[in-house]
Amino acid sequence: MNELKIGTYTFTSRLILGTGKFGNIKTMVESIRRSGTQMVTVALRRFDPEQADQDLFSALSSIEGLTLMPNTSGASTAEEAVRAARISRELSGSPFIKVEIHPNPQHLMPDPIETYEACRILASEGFLVMPYVPADPVLAKRLEDVGCAPVMPLGSAIGSGQGIATSEMIRLIIRESGIPVIVDAGLRSPSEACAAMEMGCEAVLVNSAIAAAANPPEMAEAFAGAVKAGHRAREAGIMPKSGSAVATSPLTSFLGTAS
Amino acid sequence: MNRIPVWLTDEKAYDTIEPLIDRDSSFSLEFLAAEARAITLRRFGRTISLYAPLYLSNFCSNGCVYCGFASDRNTPRRRLEFREVERELEMLKNMGIKDVLLLTGERNSNADFDYLRRCVDIAADIMPKVSIEAFPMSTNEYRKLVDCGCTGLTIYQETYDPEQYRLLHRWGPKQHFSERLETPERALQAGIKTVGVGVLLGLSEPVEEALKLFSHVRYLGKNYWKAGLSVSFPRIRPQTGGFQPAFPVNDHFLARMIFAFRIALPDVELVLSTRESPSFRDGMTGLGITRMSVASRTTVGGYIENAGDQNGQFEVFDGRTIEEFCEALRNKNIEPVFKNWEPVYNGPNTELNPTR
Repeated sequence: MNELKIGTYTFTSRLILGTGKFGNIKTMVESIRRSGTQMVTVALRRFDPEQADQDLFSALSSIEGLTLMPNTSGASTAEEAVRAARISRELSGSPFIKVEIHPNPQHLMPDPIETYEACRILASEGFLVMPYVPADPVLAKRLEDVGCAPVMPLGSAIGSGQGIATSEMIRLIIRESGIPVIVDAGLRSPSEACAAMEMGCEAVLVNSAIAAAANPPEMAEAFAGAVKAGHRAREAGIMPKSGSAVATSPLTSFLGTAS
Repeated sequence: MNRIPVWLTDEKAYDTIEPLIDRDSSFSLEFLAAEARAITLRRFGRTISLYAPLYLSNFCSNGCVYCGFASDRNTPRRRLEFREVERELEMLKNMGIKDVLLLTGERNSNADFDYLRRCVDIAADIMPKVSIEAFPMSTNEYRKLVDCGCTGLTIYQETYDPEQYRLLHRWGPKQHFSERLETPERALQAGIKTVGVGVLLGLSEPVEEALKLFSHVRYLGKNYWKAGLSVSFPRIRPQTGGFQPAFPVNDHFLARMIFAFRIALPDVELVLSTRESPSFRDGMTGLGITRMSVASRTTVGGYIENAGDQNGQFEVFDGRTIEEFCEALRNKNIEPVFKNWEPVYNGPNTELNPTR
């Protein structure tokens, strides 16, 4: 199977995990291992070097072969996100940054205007910018133009488990995009991750669906299988859908046989 | 009134919680608990964020009948000097605390705005997240606190019943009901990021109080779209002065109220303090509550002196240490989260206040 490419980095796994919401660090680490993921996102606000037993970052950096993508969750403006990204790079050494700017701490919907501005600045500073955005095809192209590595439209609200409520917009984004499209947020079950991959997403990012499952590590492995299946199906060429049966009396018989 | 379970997914859920909490609600407590648990798990995961209160001063000029710090109590008065503030904060930090709530009584010459501002300044150098629960201020004053690194304000209306409010607040600046009611807005206009509201349960008819509190939260959310909102559920505790609540709230009603808030406000932080018993706190973990205080001292200088709460604002009910409390959380597969903020995000919510 071909690899996921982001910038000059390649990944065999197309499942990216979020690290919040787990009941304990051990379950989080076990879920990461079982998922086979090679990339996780972690919030700068959960970095806590003074308190090693609480620090998500130290737990994650001990896992071999795992790329960290710090995120700017908590930022409500482009300026805050840019500063957070610089601090994150300093602390983690990772060139990846998930730009996540949600000014309303209740519904956590990304701010397209601030996100665009932050991405523009960060891409020019050499970050591999992975923006979490509304599923808007025009915004996606604008972000591609300023140098984002992939674009990560939301399936539905963070933690909502509503699946890919934005599927038609995501199809448009995929159709038009010159950079990888990764569905981030809203997925509830492996079948939805599989559907996203069949649609043509290059990867999916999952957190709540795994962390809030009754058995997170088991669910992580289930998601891994679904993501692989969806990607393989896409590569194998999915049979086209037909809207209706073929008419027994052809509608164009009056045209006669083509000469 | 709609009484069928479909109410939960209906738009009406955003308008009122009355069907869930009125005296003859057809929703069983168990049903509400299951809904509240599912929503909490989905939205907040298996985590509880922790904070600790730090009482800076207990000088007060108000006459709140229910408070151990009211100006007619014989409680010894004290304020922390700046050096002591720093030591208490370092102590809290060594205990693992990363999120602190600074408290004072009413504004007075011993603990005025400049004093509080200096304390916020000191705290913001030591803690990633600093909030205050103090006297109401002007927008301009809140702005100055934001500039020093204050991101949160807690202010309880105590009761939304103006008549009870008048009777309970015998003297002092806190007598002004509407000035207090408008305080969260002044803070949000100044760029404060999170506002915590609540009623002191026991002061007035609890169903009415819950409905008005809910309306207040909805109002703030609609009018200040960037505001982080939290709701606390303090019940009257025994205190110096011996005030007895006229409308005592039992565990069943409190649980019902918390479940209702979680269901109707799925994204809002719900807070439960050490006023509550260990068994109630443990039981409510995961069922709607997302934020808790821990190892609280309600006396001025309480952390370093390891003082009891006999001279505190109220008696702490859950006196467990941080380790004991975290152990209880972990036994329920809930991760205690100490650090959930980064000072880089401390900038004011400027768009809320175009004149800034």
